[in-house]
Amino acid sequence: MLHIKDREIVIPGQLMGDNIRHDINCFHEKDKVYSSVHGMVRVEDNYVKIIPSTGWYMPKEGDLIIGVITEVLTGWWAVDIRVPNICSLRGEEMTRDPLNVDLSQYFNVGDVISAKILEVDEVNACHLTRPWKLEGGITVNVNPKRVPRVVGKKRSMLNIIKEKTGSKIIVGQNGWIWVKEGKTELAIRTIRKIEKEAQTHGLTDRITEMLEREVGK
Amino acid sequence: MEKPDMELIKDGKRLDGRRPDELREIKIEVGVLKRATGSAYVEWGKNKVLAAVYGPRELHPKFLRNPTKAVLRCIYNLAPFSVEDRKRPGPDRRSVEISKVSAEALSSVVMLERYPNAGIDVYIEILQADAGTRCVGLTAASVALADAGIPMKDIVAACAAGKISGEIVLDLMKEEDNYGESDLPIAVMSRKKDVVLLQMDGKLTREEFKKAYELAVNGATQVYEIQKAALLKSVNDVKIEG
Amino acid sequence: MDIEAYLRRDYVTNLIKEGKRLDNRKFDEYRKLEINKGYVGEKADGSAYVSLGDTKVLVGISMDVGEPYPDAPTSGVMTVNAELRPMASPHFEAGPPGEEATELARVVDRGIRESGAIDTEKLFIEEDKVWVVFVDIHVLDHYGNMIDASGIGAIAALLDAKIPKYEDNKIIRGEHTVKLPVTCTPIPCTTAKIADCVIVDPDMDEEYAMDSRLTVATTDTINAMQKGGQGTLREEEVLDAIDLSFKCAKDIRRLVEGN
Repeated sequence: MLHIKDREIVIPGQLMGDNIRHDINCFHEKDKVYSSVHGMVRVEDNYVKIIPSTGWYMPKEGDLIIGVITEVLTGWWAVDIRVPNICSLRGEEMTRDPLNVDLSQYFNVGDVISAKILEVDEVNACHLTRPWKLEGGITVNVNPKRVPRVVGKKRSMLNIIKEKTGSKIIVGQNGWIWVKEGKTELAIRTIRKIEKEAQTHGLTDRITEMLEREVGK
Repeated sequence: MEKPDMELIKDGKRLDGRRPDELREIKIEVGVLKRATGSAYVEWGKNKVLAAVYGPRELHPKFLRNPTKAVLRCIYNLAPFSVEDRKRPGPDRRSVEISKVSAEALSSVVMLERYPNAGIDVYIEILQADAGTRCVGLTAASVALADAGIPMKDIVAACAAGKISGEIVLDLMKEEDNYGESDLPIAVMSRKKDVVLLQMDGKLTREEFKKAYELAVNGATQVYEIQKAALLKSVNDVKIEG
Repeated sequence: MDIEAYLRRDYVTNLIKEGKRLDNRKFDEYRKLEINKGYVGEKADGSAYVSLGDTKVLVGISMDVGEPYPDAPTSGVMTVNAELRPMASPHFEAGPPGEEATELARVVDRGIRESGAIDTEKLFIEEDKVWVVFVDIHVLDHYGNMIDASGIGAIAALLDAKIPKYEDNKIIRGEHTVKLPVTCTPIPCTTAKIADCVIVDPDMDEEYAMDSRLTVATTDTINAMQKGGQGTLREEEVLDAIDLSFKCAKDIRRLVEGN
């Protein structure tokens, strides 16, 4: 039995229903299911999930992220990807003999890279793979929980922004978004607007309209 | 403590015209600070309190880390100008104690096991103090935690009750705190009414304690409704431009 | 290292080179300044809440009776104290004031002290007893240019301050006699040098990108100056900064003295 409606806003500790299935943003005590975060409920049959309004990024295997090299060590790099735990990139990703070459020739401290998360271990430490250096451009940060909105269903939102602004955009699931070339300022402004209005109706239409108006100027 | 040389209750009304079981006016705003992960501002009578949450983030120093769960730290700070006689800046024994009990109260609802090795920092700044600041601080802090998107089992709501001129009343203000006989601040998990913070000073009999306790829980329930309304409003209030 | 500001640094610098700023401001334009005097007026003797864009500072004034300095036995005393509260930035930590907070307090202090804004002679009570004015700066949200926000907050709070009643060697709290005697309104204005351009009121991204900054506190004269950052400044840049400071201070002063 459900105690909430689809698209309702809930707060931590609110009763969602009895004997229902739920996602990680809920928890249960016996038969009763409660929300653990502040956000919007989505109901599908007997399954509830919550889209949190804000929150930190939790690394997940396979996610594409953007990070900054913070240290070049023997055989590996330390990378900052906005998580509270250590994140590493192995030297083998770039060379066969990482222990005997100067790794800073590939990536140096301060370089911005995109990469995929290879593995998250039991204490949330991350290991990256397939690094790609991002040169030039600007990296903006949005709340990680709003990233899905920036990308849109089947990348629809992102494609609209790319098409209208002519920018190259790489969206890291950790909330860092890299923008280069084209109308960068417009692209950034659009991303900010999406972040702010993430939980409203008809956002895609409004964004399309805004971009068309701005580009037409 | 000075003897009650003034009448604190007259014809069933208190100095500021409240009934014995009435709260002061409470206003809560969510997400007031830019840098913090989550924040809240609470005006509670003459109390003005800001709370901010940072994290989960890397915890320093390293030896504090716990590989099974996150560590929640809290700093409660009274601004020098928040009271009439300037308070010397920096932590004193009172604020260290309040910081500790507040951190423990909040740790009991936050799902710390989700973030091993990490740290969550809660900062409570009392900008203007008028009795009951630890309750206001906790109320603000738990809204700030929700605003930070940190998973919690429940929201913590706090309220104090006390005894003035021989009568049990809710939510003491400064004069009542100074001349009253006792003070009982509590904080509860709103859903189950489990207590997460309880302190008491002064003199109360068992019956009086029970009455004061029930009154305070009742007050906290009202506080919870205000917290909830503020959090719901923060999402619904997004302005649509253009 | 502030990773997020670091990520934007080159972009900010390149924009400045093109004559633009990230938030569309002109080079001599301040962010939106709001001053709320008497923000914590029920306890403090004077206060002001300043928001300069996203930077937020609360300044409180507390009056107390104390001893004058031996070399000025008939003058009141002012002390400025600044705290960078850890809630204001992920990089601030609790504890005694560090270098940054100390510099902030001293720059604000100099601007007010050197301009003679407080008429300290009027703070004399009797022999060995004068009013002590505590100015406490609380930085609550740090998004760049704390110095200006704090300095504006300090003078606004002083303009708001009243002297408590003093009878039979006791301060009567909550009752006030007269306003604190403030004779002028020193306003600090901070400029930053980025890519050889001088801009006013750097926000956090710009502070990260800047080579150096210069704070100039002015009334009708210059009262205090402070250079910060590891870069250098040329003479014409300093003069530029002073001109800008005088110009910007006018509008700010009107806002501080109003409401």
